[in-house]
Amino acid sequence: MIVPRRVALRSLFALAVTAFTGGALGRIALRAPAGGPDGPRADDPHAFDEMYGGRRILGFSGPGGEPAALVDGRPLHLMRCADGGYVTPIDHYESCPTPLAAVRAAVDEMGTAPLSPLAGAHGTPTDPTGGSPRGVHA
Amino acid sequence: MVYTRKNQRDLTGAERRTFVAAVLELKRTGAYDRFVRTHIDYYVADGEGRLRVAHMTPSFLPWHRKFLLEFETALRRIDPTVTVPYWDWTRDNSPASSIWNEDFMGGNGRRSDLQVMTGPFAHSSGRWNITQSMTEGRFLTRDFGRPRDPITLPTQAQLEEVMRERVYDVTPWNSTSPSGFRNRLEGWASGQGNDRFRIHNRVHRWVGGLMLGGGSVNDPVFWLHHAFVDLVWSRWQQRNPGAAYLPAEPPPLGDGQYRKVVARHQPMAPWGVTPASMFDHSRIYRYA
Repeated sequence: MIVPRRVALRSLFALAVTAFTGGALGRIALRAPAGGPDGPRADDPHAFDEMYGGRRILGFSGPGGEPAALVDGRPLHLMRCADGGYVTPIDHYESCPTPLAAVRAAVDEMGTAPLSPLAGAHGTPTDPTGGSPRGVHA
Repeated sequence: MVYTRKNQRDLTGAERRTFVAAVLELKRTGAYDRFVRTHIDYYVADGEGRLRVAHMTPSFLPWHRKFLLEFETALRRIDPTVTVPYWDWTRDNSPASSIWNEDFMGGNGRRSDLQVMTGPFAHSSGRWNITQSMTEGRFLTRDFGRPRDPITLPTQAQLEEVMRERVYDVTPWNSTSPSGFRNRLEGWASGQGNDRFRIHNRVHRWVGGLMLGGGSVNDPVFWLHHAFVDLVWSRWQQRNPGAAYLPAEPPPLGDGQYRKVVARHQPMAPWGVTPASMFDHSRIYRYA
């Protein structure tokens, strides 16, 4: 495909801007549920924002009011347990009393790499027989 | 032809080699990573209001029995002499146990990043690149005994206590079931500190690293661990011949577990087999 030099340069510039700002914008966009367009929501029961173990951990209420969390801008699924606590995809065996405790426990165990997309939605629903539409089954 | 699953400590050098070679071949073809993904996709916690087939649920044991059988079948297509060995962690309960030798599972992770550096599943071997995981880390990790908050493997006495349960499972059929063989063996408990991690769960905690999370199948010791859990269930079945899988019937509308758990004759995704059909393994394999 032949692309005029001017168009190609413009596209390259747009790409560079996106790449450069993507991380920061993504973080702002993802923070919106906690802060909202009108500023921080002090009443969000699931809000936290701190550095822990060298990671930025952020909590807020998801669309259905459920707690949601980001680790360095990447979603970490908080899985509700019947005992009222939470586990995460990083640590399945420690049911923590609060979302913040569960996210900290995950950071303690996740090593040095960033979260993968799988950590964001785990055991995703499902057909009537259970399991995940993402499942790859032999 | 009924085949035998052996204690890993009794394998000959040649048997260790053929098992490892079959696992590496499964990894090479991509089939191994599909097993990893299946386990990830079916992990549903018990407070999420959805059907649970694999964990925190009565079908924890038959689901993993079928999962192991699928894996073993795949290995035996590569090498018909291979079976899944089991790891009796009440006996081989130390980082110095031979299961962790360089010719078999390889050793602990190193301090700096928990990366396993020895054995066939070390990333540096070039044959064990992690693709289905909760982080973008590409190497196997372990953290034996969690040194920053030390924990030991379950003891024979603790396992014997679980074996004394007389009922397969009890309401509310989840991680809070106060008694019953399934939840005691799966290992959920209330309380403080390491006492919360029992039996099956405690072993995942003790190995640490990837064994702790949704991608636990990335560590091949997962299969040896679950083969022993399956053996324990099998021995319990022999001791309690009248103790059938529970619940026998689906919890009714209005019950908190309505459509959340699999009853005796309901299908378990992704295979569609029932817990009842998984109850007797004696025509497929036996334990030595």
